[in-house]
Amino acid sequence: MNTVQVILIALFCYLGAIGSIVGNTIGWYCLGRPLVASFVVGLIMGDVNTAMIVGIPLQIAYLANVTPGGAVAWDLSYATYIGTAMALALKDTVSSNEALIGLAFTGAGVGGVVGGTMWNVHYALDVFVNRWANKIADNGDCKKMWMPNIIGGQVIGFLCRFVPAVIVLMAIKAAGQASGIAIPGWFTTGIGNFGSMMAALGMGILLSFLIKKGVHWAIFMGGFVLATYFGLSTIAVAVIAVIVAAIYYTVINREEVA
Amino acid sequence: MAKVVSKSTLKKSFLNWFFWNGCSQQAETMLGMAFGQSMAPVIDELYDTKEEKAEGLKRHITLFNTESQVGSVCNGIAIGMEEQLANGVGSAESIQEAKVALIGPTSAIGDSLWVATIIPLLLTICLSIAQGVSGAPWIGALLYMIIYPVGTYILSWNLFKLGYKAGLEGVQRFMVSGQLDKIMNAVTVLGLIVVGALTASFVTCNLNIDIKTATQVFDEASQTYVDGVISVFNLDNLLNAVFPKIVPLGLTLLVYNLYTKKNWSPLAIMGIILALAVVLTAIGFIPGVGVYA
Repeated sequence: MNTVQVILIALFCYLGAIGSIVGNTIGWYCLGRPLVASFVVGLIMGDVNTAMIVGIPLQIAYLANVTPGGAVAWDLSYATYIGTAMALALKDTVSSNEALIGLAFTGAGVGGVVGGTMWNVHYALDVFVNRWANKIADNGDCKKMWMPNIIGGQVIGFLCRFVPAVIVLMAIKAAGQASGIAIPGWFTTGIGNFGSMMAALGMGILLSFLIKKGVHWAIFMGGFVLATYFGLSTIAVAVIAVIVAAIYYTVINREEVA
Repeated sequence: MAKVVSKSTLKKSFLNWFFWNGCSQQAETMLGMAFGQSMAPVIDELYDTKEEKAEGLKRHITLFNTESQVGSVCNGIAIGMEEQLANGVGSAESIQEAKVALIGPTSAIGDSLWVATIIPLLLTICLSIAQGVSGAPWIGALLYMIIYPVGTYILSWNLFKLGYKAGLEGVQRFMVSGQLDKIMNAVTVLGLIVVGALTASFVTCNLNIDIKTATQVFDEASQTYVDGVISVFNLDNLLNAVFPKIVPLGLTLLVYNLYTKKNWSPLAIMGIILALAVVLTAIGFIPGVGVYA
């Protein structure tokens, strides 16, 4: 990882955060999702396929990570940019994909806490910008109404996001360049196990959003056994799921008419 | 002549909201400043005097919050009401009341339908594509990067126009029509099947118990019997023979239970998964019993 890569990844840490200049649709909900974040880090570091090896498990583990209201204890976007960057920077120290994934989860743990803390700082500091907005409104100055929101909010947002990301990434860069780091075998086995178990977090919480009645468990198990007993790939099951959902929608619509 | 908000002003107001709704979020007025920025071009066009403009802007930088992508319907409704007010219909108070009344339902629909259902589902489909296309898993990421922002833009812009045209009553009528529930039901079925398959293929959890015994094993190279170990009892293999992936399924159900029934936070559940991983890894290293030993 070189300095240019550190700066680029830190820039995306900011762009993928809640309320960045590109908007939440393109930022937080797109650039901030682990699937996309790992792809971006892979492009920046020139190793997209390794980035996706860690990006897919990160996305599954944090699939159900939603942010109701303003309280963010854990910043998903920050977590995955830092986690993927760490896995790529230190990939030579581990020998298996499982350990690589574990490494990414470790980095994500650090990144998520730093990002969550900085979000709350940002959130608190933005209150002062309100004074400016009130002044402009009192003057009826419609042409200037964008200034507190964008300039005020974003100067604070950029500093809160970009600067800590550079610091964390520089530390990872230093660790990657320190020669002769030997991570013990039991540790990589352990974080590898942790990484592959974390997928249960995303699935379990997502189920809690989806399950509304008893029969939903049967539908869930249908998808499960299609993959285990029938050995279908997830993409094949997804195609079947679309067909079943289309039939289901037609049936419930017809019941209404009859 | 009746005052009408021009098409270009509507678009400008929408774009101000779509891109910068979260720019200055804070505890005092939440999305207030962003809502003010969205309304500024409308107020500028509808009112002439500085005093009227100041009153208009002050109405819209007060406390406001919603799930912004679906919540663009609120901006549309507010613009419709401002237009009426500029023509002498309605009151400033009713605009304030409508905005406050919209915070709850639009946040609820936005968070539960869009953020907690559509986004994870689109991600699961893109994940299954990423996993299915060997050699180029990034295609899944690229698909999401295109489909999600474009789809959300179309939805958000149409809701904005709906709010402006149909007004408060029209939008409320649509929300109680039941069509939304039917779409949600079908989408839920789709999600459950895919989540079932993803659970089976991505969650891994091994109990790591593999009892071995020292015995004589046949060595191919030297064609003789030498000292070695063979597995006599591998718990994971046994359980998988009974019902494949039963342990990962159990772990997923444990997470579900802790989250819904015991109200644990995701962070606390992460902690318990880490603790379990430590224990299971340790079991794996116990001499004679563990799978790694």
